[in-house]
Amino acid sequence: MSEFLKGNFQIKNQPKESTKAEMTKEEELKEKFKKAALGSIGGSMVYVERTELTWDGADE
Amino acid sequence: MNNSESGWSFEQVVQDVPKIGRENHSQTLLHHAQENLKYFKKSINDLKALPEIEKESAIVISAGPSVHKFNSINRIRDNYKGKIISIDGAYVNCLKRGVIPDYVLSLDPHLKRIVRWFGDPNFEENMAGDDYFDRQDLDVEFRKNSINQNLANIKLVNEHAHKTKLILCSSAPPQVVDRAIEAGFDIYWWNPLVDNPSEPQSLTRKLYAVNKLPCMNTGGTVGTAAWVFASSILKIKSIGMVGMDLGYHMDTPYNMTQTYYELIQHVGLENLEKCFIRFTFPLTQVEYYTDPTYFWYRKNFLELLSKSNSENLNCTEGGTLFGEHIQSMTLDTFFNRFNKLENYKE
Repeated sequence: MSEFLKGNFQIKNQPKESTKAEMTKEEELKEKFKKAALGSIGGSMVYVERTELTWDGADE
Repeated sequence: MNNSESGWSFEQVVQDVPKIGRENHSQTLLHHAQENLKYFKKSINDLKALPEIEKESAIVISAGPSVHKFNSINRIRDNYKGKIISIDGAYVNCLKRGVIPDYVLSLDPHLKRIVRWFGDPNFEENMAGDDYFDRQDLDVEFRKNSINQNLANIKLVNEHAHKTKLILCSSAPPQVVDRAIEAGFDIYWWNPLVDNPSEPQSLTRKLYAVNKLPCMNTGGTVGTAAWVFASSILKIKSIGMVGMDLGYHMDTPYNMTQTYYELIQHVGLENLEKCFIRFTFPLTQVEYYTDPTYFWYRKNFLELLSKSNSENLNCTEGGTLFGEHIQSMTLDTFFNRFNKLENYKE
């Protein structure tokens, strides 16, 4: 876009070249947060059934 | 509960929880354990055994909404002299009310959120675009947390951290570890027991190979881990628990529950209602509801309780946690029973 605006005059407002790119960035950010938030459903920590309360490497 | 026409059931979502957790956490656990290797000076095996009289009872303070509703922490401050084990999410709340926990547990590997429980030096940056604390009900005071409030929390934690032993999981994220060291906690490390270590590809075994730290089961959440710690490491005979709601009070709207957006994404908005089930708390006959994640925590906890030698006393006075190996009682009943002992705490 900037190549069409070259000239010997001052424009009143600065052209906004990257509207599309900004939108994409915003969407990317949204997606990033969405992905980061998804983890909550899986709890704070991994857990599987049928394990003991503690383990100290006894059979190492 | 069975919604076969919509292609899923409550049970199916509950079954999906551990899978989502594994996918979300597995890589992080090993990575954080390696990152934290340089800090492992003491493990939970280095804790001095408690004198027999101090093993008689202890209270685990979790951060469910009942803690506020029933004023549990102030009542503990005024009536109980035994050992206090708090989870990270309840720690600042304890300090504000003049209770200095003997032990604080932290395990969640989330990179940005957990540090806030200790006062977050990167508060604004970490919270940008994340409404987790607006929706969580662990400590409602954190919903309206301002920059000034966070600064006050930093100051409060800095003032008191050296009086408490931080029972810190090797999965802790760098920001929490840095903050804990800066604040002056006495840190004791452990690994999460996340699968069967007798399996050759066990992640627990890999974690142990990295750092040789003792491993402790968590039931998927820090509240359960705090109870495992009290029962298996401190060998407390009778464990009282407060703030262990594992569910929501009926006046909490669905959009304020912790996995609201995730559930919509997982089952669709039209099925959201079916993701919540109700329980009647036996001591008071009051109804509460729970989502699949809390239901999973509850199921895990009830399973782990059966493996313990401790007497388990739920003094939350509400919520969904009741079953064969746990007795519900009021906090005042607990005080009456255990404060017959001499004031043995220094």
